[in-house]
Amino acid sequence: MKERYHLRLPAPESLKDLPISKEDLKRAEDRRDVKRHREERRPIKLFWLLLGPGILVMLGENDGPSMISYATTGATYGVGFFLPFILLTFAMAYVVQEMTVRLGAVTKKGHAELINERFGKFWGWFAMGDLAFGNLLTLVTEFIAIRAGLGFFHVPSALSVFGAFLIIVGAVATQRYWTWERIVLSFAVFNLIFIPVAVLAHPVPTQIVKAFFSWGPIPGGVNASFILLVMSNIGATVTPWMLFFQQSAVVDKGLTPTDISHGRIDTALGALLAAIAAIATVLACVPLFTSHVDASNFQGADFAQALVPHIGSIGASLFALGLFEAGIVAALTISLSSAYAFGEVTGRSASINSPIKENLPFYAFLLAAAGIAALLVLIPHAPLVFITLIVNVIAVLAMPPAIVFLLLLVNDKEIMGEHANRPLGNVFGIGVTIFLILAGLTYGILTIFPHLFPTS
Amino acid sequence: MKNRVATSETSHHDNHAWVHDVLEPDQLAAAKPQFGRRKLGAGTLLLLWVLRIYVLLMILLISYQVWKAFHAKP
Repeated sequence: MKERYHLRLPAPESLKDLPISKEDLKRAEDRRDVKRHREERRPIKLFWLLLGPGILVMLGENDGPSMISYATTGATYGVGFFLPFILLTFAMAYVVQEMTVRLGAVTKKGHAELINERFGKFWGWFAMGDLAFGNLLTLVTEFIAIRAGLGFFHVPSALSVFGAFLIIVGAVATQRYWTWERIVLSFAVFNLIFIPVAVLAHPVPTQIVKAFFSWGPIPGGVNASFILLVMSNIGATVTPWMLFFQQSAVVDKGLTPTDISHGRIDTALGALLAAIAAIATVLACVPLFTSHVDASNFQGADFAQALVPHIGSIGASLFALGLFEAGIVAALTISLSSAYAFGEVTGRSASINSPIKENLPFYAFLLAAAGIAALLVLIPHAPLVFITLIVNVIAVLAMPPAIVFLLLLVNDKEIMGEHANRPLGNVFGIGVTIFLILAGLTYGILTIFPHLFPTS
Repeated sequence: MKNRVATSETSHHDNHAWVHDVLEPDQLAAAKPQFGRRKLGAGTLLLLWVLRIYVLLMILLISYQVWKAFHAKP
């Protein structure tokens, strides 16, 4: 086996003389609790302390455009193929995200930082550029969702957008990862608000069971619209920011190789909860399908309005609140993922445990990313509808290079040692990569040869 | 490779011996190891460039779709 990196650390006796930063101190306080509960064998309390990055990344990806995509799916295709397909996409997301848990816990470095160090600054800045561009567009869509969700309750656009920005400022102003994480988790729980909305839509249980076993029906068959919706659903589940966020959050939280099993449970639980919320959103909009409502050009609040005759004003209000939740949780996590990557490629501290006055560029980048997106949403006649439609497709197209970097890193025995990918992990990882590349190529072929598939 | 910019140091290590007990050595901001550059084989480099070109081509396709969407007849 090649030399492991930790063998190149300073000698243990000299480690005791190293300065302790405020960032170290805050992380150590969290880790002291983890150590105590592990020694006292209190598994539930230990899991409570260690959960976070996995649930946040999965529920964070159930964001504004994702929920619109699931709503469009329910309104266009009803109960059928997309129910098991959504479950499959979250299984793919778990395969990918589990690798980031191991990378973060073993190397103690974020995704951008590792790309920068192992592949050089050229590829590091490329990865960071892809992420920053994709994240900015996605953040715009999150503010659109926030505006649409609160707009249902007649909250003025400027107030809802400014209020959401203030929530982001307030969460990072805590300058403590643990507090930030718990604030975002408390918002993220409300992603499950789509479950009572689905119940109010009175789905037929036998139809749901049949759909899971038969992967059908597909009303209208396989056509251009169907393939675009497939792409959109993949983009609603597996995206580049998730890799960067979870790995950096694992590092910021202070997880170590001992915590990998908890990290896996956290990620699996997050995937399961997110899949349930996504499927609930599809089911909530099935009444629009059965009533033959054309929802192809619907935006966030349009769904809530259109659902009023079917699920009542309470159901529609819950749907609108769900949209707000989807937008705010994603805005909190995505803006942080941009800042993490910025901190990592510029050699700064990439942690919200670091004090603002000593790490100003990190916090400035985070707030600038969120602030620019918020302002873009308020610009009259900005092409917001188009951005919402295209953002998931861009995520699918940008994912293959991101996963290849991930696979190269997680197979790097010099940094991963015994935690490097095993053959089965690579089979799944490479399988997901090939699937995403094929999805992207199908989109390309469809764009160049639009008549290859029937249009309706 | 540029070293990580550490945030402020607290009073002194004597008061924080417990920190070394709960954090792994490479979790300390001042002790993060630099992994160094990995030597990329020709195949890996080719794969990275192919994927980079793939993303650029797809962005062109998206731009074409944008153009088409804005010029579509109502």
